[in-house]
Amino acid sequence: MKRNGCRVGLVLILITGLLFITGCWGKREVEELAPLISIGFDLGQKPNTYLVTGQYALPNKGAAGAEVKDWTMSFEASSLREAYEMTYKILNRTPFNGSVKVIVIGEDMAKAGFKDMLDFTQRFSEFRRTIYLVLTKGKAQDVLNVKLRNGEMPAMSIKNHLEQGDELSSFPTVRLGHYLTILGRKSTAPIMPLVKSIKSGDGGIEYKAEGKDGAEEIQLEGAGVFRGDRLVDLLTDEETKGYMWLENNVVHRFINTVGLEESKVNFSAHVLKSTTKYKVADTNGKIELQYQIKASVAVEEVLGQNEQLSETEWVELMKGAEKSFAKVIEKECELSIQKEKQLNLDFLGVGRHIEERNSAYWKTVKDQWAEKIADFPVSVNVEVTVHHSGMSNNSVINSTSERQE
Amino acid sequence: MERISTHQFMTLGAAVLMGTTFLPVASIATGAGGRDGWMSVLPGFAMVIPYSLMVLSLLAQYPNKNLLQISEALLGKWIGKCIGVIYISITGYFGGLLLSQCGDIYERSIMPLTPLWLFYLGGLLLVFYTVSSGVEVFARFSEIVFPMIVIALVLNIGLSIPRMEQGELLPILSEGLKPIFSGAFKIMPFAMEYILFLAGILTFLPNSKKELAQLKNGVWRAVFLVGILDMLVVLIQILVFGPEEVNRLVYGLLVLGKIVEISRTVSGVESLFMGVWLGASVVKISAFFFTVTWGLETVFGFKGVKWNLAVCAVFLGIAFGFVRGHSLFVEITLVDDYLILPFASVWIPILWGVSRWKKGAGVQ
Repeated sequence: MKRNGCRVGLVLILITGLLFITGCWGKREVEELAPLISIGFDLGQKPNTYLVTGQYALPNKGAAGAEVKDWTMSFEASSLREAYEMTYKILNRTPFNGSVKVIVIGEDMAKAGFKDMLDFTQRFSEFRRTIYLVLTKGKAQDVLNVKLRNGEMPAMSIKNHLEQGDELSSFPTVRLGHYLTILGRKSTAPIMPLVKSIKSGDGGIEYKAEGKDGAEEIQLEGAGVFRGDRLVDLLTDEETKGYMWLENNVVHRFINTVGLEESKVNFSAHVLKSTTKYKVADTNGKIELQYQIKASVAVEEVLGQNEQLSETEWVELMKGAEKSFAKVIEKECELSIQKEKQLNLDFLGVGRHIEERNSAYWKTVKDQWAEKIADFPVSVNVEVTVHHSGMSNNSVINSTSERQE
Repeated sequence: MERISTHQFMTLGAAVLMGTTFLPVASIATGAGGRDGWMSVLPGFAMVIPYSLMVLSLLAQYPNKNLLQISEALLGKWIGKCIGVIYISITGYFGGLLLSQCGDIYERSIMPLTPLWLFYLGGLLLVFYTVSSGVEVFARFSEIVFPMIVIALVLNIGLSIPRMEQGELLPILSEGLKPIFSGAFKIMPFAMEYILFLAGILTFLPNSKKELAQLKNGVWRAVFLVGILDMLVVLIQILVFGPEEVNRLVYGLLVLGKIVEISRTVSGVESLFMGVWLGASVVKISAFFFTVTWGLETVFGFKGVKWNLAVCAVFLGIAFGFVRGHSLFVEITLVDDYLILPFASVWIPILWGVSRWKKGAGVQ
């Protein structure tokens, strides 16, 4: 009897306790929240300040479906929390950080170092380590304020681009967690994809602009190499592609042989599959890192083919195409390796590869690794297999008279 | 006399041994053993086996007595009582620290604005209810909670696989075997926490010859199940974060829970995991609450609801004394390394050795 009384008492206490849980009293409706989608970091004008740009997706009250409004604002503050305080003073909703997808780092900020700005995002529990990090040429504020022609929020556009990155495999995808892991490796230099806003006419891209001036599209191309949290240099598109091959990050790619060598016939192909392996070879005491890339491609364009070929000739043409594609890949990789040596920064993780495969040797060189990068021998061997050349063999051939003209 | 079955002993033992070890185990193992730290987890937990075998052999020799009573019988009344006081002090203090950790886990990770007392009081109410209901109810509670912990851990580990970084585990054993020994030494206090619980629960265990064999079997199973699970927890964290990051993170598994995404649509599942971790926390705190009540009853003859309430008050007092999370961590490590580990690792072999010697010499 006494025991039952005790149990009833405990149950009553638990029920009363439930009523005091903040979830019951401190509830917030979705419309009262301001989900933060992106944060941009730039240097502030005053000393020791930062220009923090927040891009929020405000859900509309009573709106049907998932209707959201873009609300982007920049604050000059000495810390991220101060920028939040300034946001609270203006926005009549509670900022929510769990929804952040992208952090955009401005060029000046990246050159000065952004470690302190990132501290809040890796410390405060609302943020997730799956947030993407991107570097931008110019100011992060400008990129986040671009009015895209398709009406999409710039942050969502960048995020969608990054998530579809495997289709193109021409830029790295870096999440906050990955960046922190790379920093922990010490010998490897972090890398970040480069995003830039483009105006009509920039880089051979033209579109019908709706505004008078200013960029209305965003492009992901190239990457930035960092020493810790400081930007050292930018990689070109080709160097970044080389990095992608060597890092075994190529899922699908488009490659072409145009401009490779003086050849009447050129090819474009779609990479179906690619695998990069490496080994640390010891040849008579000389340690070398050897990359082995194997790629399977489908030829999708044959340019400059003006003659009908027999089946055996076509086989020979495709064998030639395989060699040309291998040269293209090799060139991209070589450019990337050259850049690494030129910068003396191991963004390819060569040192880490040596440590993985030959830790005894690594122990002898790790303390002088920064000086050894430039001279350390790295070789690349590429094998390309053309699976097929699409729905037809021979290209469309002009009539004999037209060919003679 | 209340008894638990051999199966209940195994699940209860596994639940107590596991407790919330999966939260700090990765940073402890990598802190001491670096990249190879994951290999030190199983050897660390395996220390439970020789100690448990010693304790169970004492049970066979002194049925229906806990180790405090056996200490009095073997070492004399006053030495036995002194050991009892140390036992009560250590387990009581550690139980309070674990209650404080329960609040710290939630405040740090998903409920930063909820008052700490709510976690303390809520957790303690569950613990109090379990303790008041007796060992058998505690064992049944563990039989329900432990499988949930295992499932949640396996899900958390499995769903984190897409986030693995290339080659983080390599090179293996580049520093030789030293990191494994260092890591295992840091993991050993977890094993000794379990031994302290085992020391008290002996009176509730069956003690026929056949059942003793089953109990030994249960210890082996519990150790390997928990050891392997915790090893996988460390392994996946090294693979996802890298050893440097694992060492830097306070509760790596909670961070791992936060990065779980299912097909880019479902995220934020860490809250579900957190519910299960509360169950694990309650099991561990209850275990130490039990050890205090058993100690009080054996040494001073104090038992009943009012003494349970007094223990609650002590636990709450200790928890409120450690609202600074960083100090709490230091204190838990100090108690583990400098109180629990030396106390249990010396006490049990001495007791076992003296009993063997007395048996051999024919001393009663």
